[in-house]
Amino acid sequence: MSADVTGANPAADPVGVTRAEHFATVGQQRHAATLGMWAWLLTELLLFAGLFLTALILRLLHPEAVQAAAGHLKFWIGATNTVVLLCSSLTMSAAIELSRLGWQRMMVGCLLATASLGALFLMLKGYEYYADYEEHMMPFLARRPYALAEQPATRLFVNLYYVATALHALHLFTGIAILLGITWKASRPGFLQRHQNWIEVYGLYWHFIDLIWIIAFPVLYVVNR
Amino acid sequence: MKAQSALALWPPAASATAVETDHIILGFTVLTLLLTVPVFLAITYFALRYRQGEQADRSTDERRSFLIEISWMLIPYVLTLFFFGWGAKLFIASRHPPPDAMVVEAVGRQWMWKFQHPTGQSEINDLHLPVDQPVRIRITSQDVIHALYLPALRLQIAALPDRTTEIWFKADRTGTYRLYCSEYCGTDHSVMDGNLTLMTQAEYQEWLTHGGAQQSNLAAGRVIYEAYGCAGCHDGAVAGVKAPSLVGLYGRPVHLADGRTLTADADYIRAKILNPNENRLAGDGEGEGGGQGGGKGSGKGGYKQVMPSFRGVIPADDLDRLVGYLKAYDRVAEGAPR
Amino acid sequence: MSSAGTLHGDAAARDPHTPLPTLDRPDDYLHAQSTLRSWFLTTDHKRIALLYLASITAFFVIGAVAAGFVRLALVVPDGAIMTNDTYNKAFTIHGVVMVWFFLIPSIPATFGNFLIPLMIGAKDLAFPKLNLTSWYIFMTGALFTLVAVVLGGVDTGWTFYAPLSTAFSNTWVLPALIGVTIVGFSSILTGLNFVVTIHTMRAPGMTWFRLPIFVWTHYATSLIFLLATPVITLALILLIAERAFHVGVFDPAYGGDPVLFQHLFWFYSHPAVYIMVLPGMGVISEIVPAFAQKKLFGYRFVAYAAIGLASVTFFVWGHHMFVNGQSDLASLAFSALSFAVAVPSAVKVYNWTATIHKGSLRLDTPMLYAMGYIGLFVLGGLTGLYLATLAINQHIHATYFVVAHFHYIMVGGTVLAFLGGLHFWWPKITGRMYSEPWGRISALFIFIGFNVTFFPQFILGYLGMPRRYATYPPEFQLLNVLSSAGSTILAAGYLFPMVYLVYSLWFGRRASANPWDAKGLEWETASPPPPHNFAGVPQVPKVPYDYPIQAPETGSHHT
Repeated sequence: MSADVTGANPAADPVGVTRAEHFATVGQQRHAATLGMWAWLLTELLLFAGLFLTALILRLLHPEAVQAAAGHLKFWIGATNTVVLLCSSLTMSAAIELSRLGWQRMMVGCLLATASLGALFLMLKGYEYYADYEEHMMPFLARRPYALAEQPATRLFVNLYYVATALHALHLFTGIAILLGITWKASRPGFLQRHQNWIEVYGLYWHFIDLIWIIAFPVLYVVNR
Repeated sequence: MKAQSALALWPPAASATAVETDHIILGFTVLTLLLTVPVFLAITYFALRYRQGEQADRSTDERRSFLIEISWMLIPYVLTLFFFGWGAKLFIASRHPPPDAMVVEAVGRQWMWKFQHPTGQSEINDLHLPVDQPVRIRITSQDVIHALYLPALRLQIAALPDRTTEIWFKADRTGTYRLYCSEYCGTDHSVMDGNLTLMTQAEYQEWLTHGGAQQSNLAAGRVIYEAYGCAGCHDGAVAGVKAPSLVGLYGRPVHLADGRTLTADADYIRAKILNPNENRLAGDGEGEGGGQGGGKGSGKGGYKQVMPSFRGVIPADDLDRLVGYLKAYDRVAEGAPR
Repeated sequence: MSSAGTLHGDAAARDPHTPLPTLDRPDDYLHAQSTLRSWFLTTDHKRIALLYLASITAFFVIGAVAAGFVRLALVVPDGAIMTNDTYNKAFTIHGVVMVWFFLIPSIPATFGNFLIPLMIGAKDLAFPKLNLTSWYIFMTGALFTLVAVVLGGVDTGWTFYAPLSTAFSNTWVLPALIGVTIVGFSSILTGLNFVVTIHTMRAPGMTWFRLPIFVWTHYATSLIFLLATPVITLALILLIAERAFHVGVFDPAYGGDPVLFQHLFWFYSHPAVYIMVLPGMGVISEIVPAFAQKKLFGYRFVAYAAIGLASVTFFVWGHHMFVNGQSDLASLAFSALSFAVAVPSAVKVYNWTATIHKGSLRLDTPMLYAMGYIGLFVLGGLTGLYLATLAINQHIHATYFVVAHFHYIMVGGTVLAFLGGLHFWWPKITGRMYSEPWGRISALFIFIGFNVTFFPQFILGYLGMPRRYATYPPEFQLLNVLSSAGSTILAAGYLFPMVYLVYSLWFGRRASANPWDAKGLEWETASPPPPHNFAGVPQVPKVPYDYPIQAPETGSHHT
């Protein structure tokens, strides 16, 4: 068991963690929280891995159709979104560093910046979906004609693109909601004395959402160009 | 038909491969008994011998346990691997047909089998084949996944909607055996079965040339009548859909909406199946898009014309069977054979 | 501990401890609080275990009633009792409810939840609120699916194969799928909680090789929860998207592949077999040493075998598709790998047998279940090797042989272990003793009823009767009637415990802290335990299974 490093005397230390009743030490509690988040991210990774694997298999099975369909993807919106998410990871990392130093106000600012960048991503994504709709690139809508109807296999790729990006957007949306909740709590005085590890553990999740997009962007947009 | 007793304990085997499969399973069973009976006897013996309160030597031996662990890990495993090899050899052989095999095309659909002989004859649900001749069955599906299961040959293979799979065998015993669909395929999965009749080469040629296939045409027609969904509406099997009964339709006069009267002969029935919107029926003028009141339907008020066209859906030979069945529908109406 | 010499008989007669006066101690976890709120918003792992126990018992009853209907319909060959459609819906209820809502959560969610913290000397699981959330997620998903399969009716079987489930079935497939997907998250979160708890919450001195095998097998199970469940979640999400929006991944018309669903499905569902089996092995590994009063033979081998099974199970899924147009090379590889499952399984069985050897045996109810388990698991496991043999598989795939095989594993294995564990830990969970004679009688009923029900199905399968058949050729009737007759004995065997266990809650004798003279930290605390499990920090013994009769610790130089 790792040693009880922090939080022995919360009043003296501006940064720390309040021990929950069922843990023996704060070190144990921190260890559990971090390990729990990693385990969760592992299952999430497997979920997305199956999806990306399916997309790559499709690419091997129907190369022309996939390229034809991928030609309709908005590469520059995707690329901009990649940059947006990378920036949000940067602000998240900054928030974590600031939380360790105990600079609560600046940390809250960074958290808000992170949430805003996440929201910007969703707005761009939403605009991209709208553009796809206008271009008749939504084959799953039964009543709307589909632009590439003569190539059935393109449907498959385009639909898979929606499943993958919608699942990612859902994660991001949940992430922003949780982040705003944490930010609200973190704006109260004394937060970092009690729950500094929330920021650390949450940061893992945010970086993970970023990572998924960093895999999704090449798999969907770049490889098929 | 078969003489089947109420209790059979071993399935008939109609090929050398089937016999060899039986040998594998018998051999495996012997090995299983060798591996399990000592364990079961030991557990029972220990349970009695070392029961609490019984006087017994309970001193334990501190040595050799690593060796014991390794040996009971590896010895049974290596023994079973023999059967892996044997089974794999037989399986691979069943995947590689000899070049002189005759090819039978099989199609599964909800819920019937259709087999097409190399000479062009086809049959529904039943399969007649010669013995002493390698037969290759190429199989596909028109809807969900099915699987053709021939227990007497110890073989089965899936019928997949997107591709053709195949299996081959060389039967060596004549007789009538079961064939089944073994991959669950929906409501009537369990009636997607029939008979595999294995006969001598001479009998098979006789059967092919003298229209042996004709004999089972009524039954086959009924299968098609159900598989293409005719029964669902025309026999009232689907709730909420009302369509005229086809019992006794053949040979009756039919009153059309434009005033003509036709006799429901084979050509009329055939045309009506392929294009239900032609020759609209009288007696239900208010129904939008006309109505269809063939046979005794005219007295019953309207039928809304909702029947889809079967042009391009039903192959010619199946249509022949279906029309043949409808010709005889008054005779076979109730208690129709499957 | 001088129990080795005592004569067999009633559990309390040889109990060396004085039962602690429960009435004077109303602060155990059952009585500390009594409001409805204190149950439904509890974060105590023991209470959550009981919430799970109540829910899965209810689901078991639903699944068993459906099984009763299935066996009733099969008394006659021509389907005179039930229409094909009703039969198909009945077996789908049975499969869906039993697999997703009973077998998968059964031992982990109840005994795992209750015992892991007790066994490792922790106050609770690492994330108690998450644990409660898991139960609510489980119930939400279960409700969705139950409404779909029981009230609406679903006719796809529990396997939901495409394209039957996506394009052809006209039944309530969508809500059923959504429910199963939701339940998957409950599994993932439970597994996550267990992994983190076992890693971080062990009491001082509780090293990995002092953990009971029960904890080892739950660790292995949790890894499968974490690594396999997301894949089925994805497969189900794609299936839902396919059914609702015609995405096309499993539809050949758009270049999709229906067999891909089978690959994704079995990539989870074969490991899921070990989600069901491994915890049962853990239960048996606790019961056998306790009732032999002897140290578990080959502790390290048994522990490694759990991890071995959990690993090898990820590489055998293709053995469900030997006849589905899979390449020969893939079939050969999957067949060979499937044979490898025999190695860790054999390790378990032989080590249990060796533990009984020269022990001091008491044949009480839990031990009877454990011995039944060993016998049935061995038969189920070896018939699994028949199925893994390619040539034999070509004959018995999708026949009643398969049905018999997996019922020997699922019922003979998991359900017997569940019942054995229920009787073994009943005094700890409730603080009461059940009726030992009734316990033995129903164990016997279940063992006999089970074999009469399912052994004929091996023969039926080899004769060539396909599974999921609402009607069947008349030559199979006798064996089917025998099987149905056996199921009534089995049903009686299930009913007895429901009655006498509930009866014991109010009228059973009070149990002492350790009525079986068993080893393990859970027996060091009171029965029932206090809300935070232990009065102080529990003292961890130097060796696991520290029973009076010691067998050699194999394969290592440690002692």
